[in-house]
Amino acid sequence: MLAQQIVNGVVVGATYALFALGFTLMFGVLRVVNLTYGFYFSAGAFIALYFMTTGGLSVWVALPAAALTVGALSVVLDQLLLTRSRRTDASEMSSLMITLGATLLLYSLATAWLGADIRRMPAGLLGVASGFGGVRFTGIQIVILGTSALIVWGLFALLRWTKLGIAIRALAENSDAATLMGINTRLTFAIVSFVSGLLGATAGVLVGMNYNGVQPYMGETMILKGFAVIILGGLGDVRGAVVAGVFVGLLETLVAAYAASSLREAVAFLALVLVLWVRPSGLFGVSEARRA
Amino acid sequence: MEFLADFAFVYQSLIYAVGINGLLALSVYVSLSAGQLSLGQAGFMAIGAYSSALLSLKYDAFFPLALAMGMLIPALFAALISIPTLRLSGVYLALTTIGVGELVRVFFVNLDSAGGALGLSGIPEKGSFALIYGCLFIVLFGMFAFARSKFGRAIEAMREDETAAGTMGINFPRYRLAVLVVSAAIAGLAGGLNAHVSSFIGPAEYGFDLAVSILSFALLGGISNPLGPVLGAIVLTILPEVLRPIHDYRLAVNGAVIVIVMIFCPEGVFAWRIRRTGAAV
Amino acid sequence: MVGVRGIVAIVGVAGCLLLNLSHAGAAEPIAIGAIEILSGPNSKYGVAIKKGFDLALEKVNKTGVLGRPLEIAYEDSAGNKEQALNAARLLIGSKKVPLLLGPTLSGEMFAAGPIANQRKVPIVGTSTTAIGITDIGQYVFRTALPESDVVPVVLKTARDKLGVKKVAVMYAADDTFSKSSYDVMKIALENLGIETLTTETFSLKDSDFSAQLTKIKGLNPDAIVVASYVEAGAGIMLAKRSLGISDKVRIIGGNGLNSPKVGEIAGAAADGTLVGSPWFVSKQDPANDEFVRDFRAKYSEDPDQFAAQAYDTLFLVAEAIRGAGTAEPDKIREALLKTTYSGVLGKFSFTADRNPADSSGVIVLEMKDGQFHILN
Repeated sequence: MLAQQIVNGVVVGATYALFALGFTLMFGVLRVVNLTYGFYFSAGAFIALYFMTTGGLSVWVALPAAALTVGALSVVLDQLLLTRSRRTDASEMSSLMITLGATLLLYSLATAWLGADIRRMPAGLLGVASGFGGVRFTGIQIVILGTSALIVWGLFALLRWTKLGIAIRALAENSDAATLMGINTRLTFAIVSFVSGLLGATAGVLVGMNYNGVQPYMGETMILKGFAVIILGGLGDVRGAVVAGVFVGLLETLVAAYAASSLREAVAFLALVLVLWVRPSGLFGVSEARRA
Repeated sequence: MEFLADFAFVYQSLIYAVGINGLLALSVYVSLSAGQLSLGQAGFMAIGAYSSALLSLKYDAFFPLALAMGMLIPALFAALISIPTLRLSGVYLALTTIGVGELVRVFFVNLDSAGGALGLSGIPEKGSFALIYGCLFIVLFGMFAFARSKFGRAIEAMREDETAAGTMGINFPRYRLAVLVVSAAIAGLAGGLNAHVSSFIGPAEYGFDLAVSILSFALLGGISNPLGPVLGAIVLTILPEVLRPIHDYRLAVNGAVIVIVMIFCPEGVFAWRIRRTGAAV
Repeated sequence: MVGVRGIVAIVGVAGCLLLNLSHAGAAEPIAIGAIEILSGPNSKYGVAIKKGFDLALEKVNKTGVLGRPLEIAYEDSAGNKEQALNAARLLIGSKKVPLLLGPTLSGEMFAAGPIANQRKVPIVGTSTTAIGITDIGQYVFRTALPESDVVPVVLKTARDKLGVKKVAVMYAADDTFSKSSYDVMKIALENLGIETLTTETFSLKDSDFSAQLTKIKGLNPDAIVVASYVEAGAGIMLAKRSLGISDKVRIIGGNGLNSPKVGEIAGAAADGTLVGSPWFVSKQDPANDEFVRDFRAKYSEDPDQFAAQAYDTLFLVAEAIRGAGTAEPDKIREALLKTTYSGVLGKFSFTADRNPADSSGVIVLEMKDGQFHILN
């Protein structure tokens, strides 16, 4: 039974990790508390569902299509919402509020248009469970694990070894210096937005399939856990997001299984608060020295 | 005359809500004015509401006492968590407050002696229009007086430029603690009053959504002076009622208002600074 | 000199005026209020209820009530307690309705009910099944069978017919309805002597139930009793299957799982689920056949329990107003207590404390291939 619980925990954790990847990028690099990220999660799932049902596309086509669409959407929204405050160098709080208002608006419109009902998002063959050694899992769960690993590796490679990656890291560290170095900050921001939206949507589709249900508000519930995961892992740290995600998932599952299921909800937030109290930079983040 | 009585009846909850939200807006204003973004107000409000409601329900306590406890207990809680929390700033502080707020909510959901998810019902209606607005005015007045004083200046300095304020010898930890505690007390007061005018409270009301609403009151109105948040609260409380005819799109319009205002007036709509005696603004 | 034509003209005009006056008086509708969830999450319940009301209204207005047409003034609560409360105040204080229908959720009734009661306006919940609804006050009625009448019937059937002796219980701890439903289940299980192996909780918005279900699997219950709404219920069914829990271990649900949506989302994993209901769509009787036929014709979809209960309730309320002889709230209240009505849910009347008197009509349903059928 313990083995199954560990598998359960890792799978849940992988869904958190998948969600957190795009979020940590957006938050850590752009220094923007972008609450619309949760919306990209929901939007990705719905758009993929639309492609699969009305468009008749297979999931292998629908998923990238949805991800690209949401990536583009993310760039557009980012331009609309955040450019002005970036230009006037307004506080982080104003970007929080703007994206919050936007989230409210977007979720309401989506619900008004699509209805708040939960919809099926069948994983098809991938949903069939199999198992060995007394442990059961489904194909989609393997896909989630695999995809998370792939994305982490991809992002890592991007950030470490490509010119774009260096530009992103430079931007994250000091946007003025980056501009002075000749980096096209506007373009880089847009690319990060795009990648982030893409990742959020991918997470939405896979998680939607894993639980065979999508609803407009699904991003909202994820985002609070998302905060916990990215802080635990360290803002902007891609490896950290995955480790933290799996850790939180595992901890939640084990607490629910062996302590009390009523405590499960508290785990993520307790982890968040404790990490912030003890080591705010998270597991992998670099401690920011306080100057002056 | 009957029209007035009818009007008062129909809009009673709304009128109360405006007053309560005004207090909540002030509570977050206190922490924002010191440069601290606190999203835990809903948690403090919950503690205040439950404390005072339980005292009224289970011990039939003297109402002013219940209300006072509704302010004291959240304040103590704030003091308790302040030590590790106040070392943080900016987004980290905000996230800590979110985490604490959610933990408070989960605590009350699981507290069966407080009704769990069903909450407390049958709370005696001891609040009133006079009491709510009386408290609001007292707190507002207090804020103005405070802002003009030495403490007010210190806090504004902290917000505007931490480094410079530090070199001027302002004792950060003490001020930060005071700010958090006062903010919690006001939120607790709002909670206690709210509990005693709506006979029924439950943990679901005090979640992240509420914390965000409270923040939006303050940011809409602007935090340069205490009146801003209150005006923001008035607008955002009345807006959904005014938009009642377009029910499907009510939340959407609410969101749109926040977006537009924050993009074009990030300082808030009612931003004007407090004049202090002597020195230039 | 007024000629013959003149006299005819005067009589004609006077006659028209008189006719108009009396006509105007007769045509003035009786407006009752309804607070339902028409937008946001959970709007499916409110919208279904509205459809039930509207269908019934058409029929009621073929003959009218006390010579006047009946009208329903709807207000949307969006599932929000505050808004339900404000809607009640608006309808009572501004539109001066003599009766309120709704609200949709029990939690909303706890908020709005006291106001209606205070102002002595009867309020009739068609879907509020939690404990303590009618305790709010003398003016609070409900036509929905409380969970406390339905759940014990299902559990008893499970015990007697299917040999269920030990169960695991799961419920959404952070939801008012689910918790209330759970409280009823707990008592019923105790009374029936069914052993509860473990009680697991989850959050209403959760999608992952693997931890709780794996634990439950290890304890080997005969059935899993679930108190929550459709979304979580379907998630539990799916997870149950993929974790390899035998299909023989059925899910027994409270009123929240009583919706064909459960079969839609969970597909084959929902087969075997048991719920109790005073009504279901294929119930064979002339009143129900007519209702289902008319509903399908008007809305191009099947009615659900919420629509059915709303439908019956409107007829009941119309009868009560007729019985009262006047659109006065107090008189209507008295009449409600005495009114009986026979509808798609069977015979109906109120007990002295304003709950449905007859709970013998509870049928135990089993989900199969996406539809509920009578358990045999």
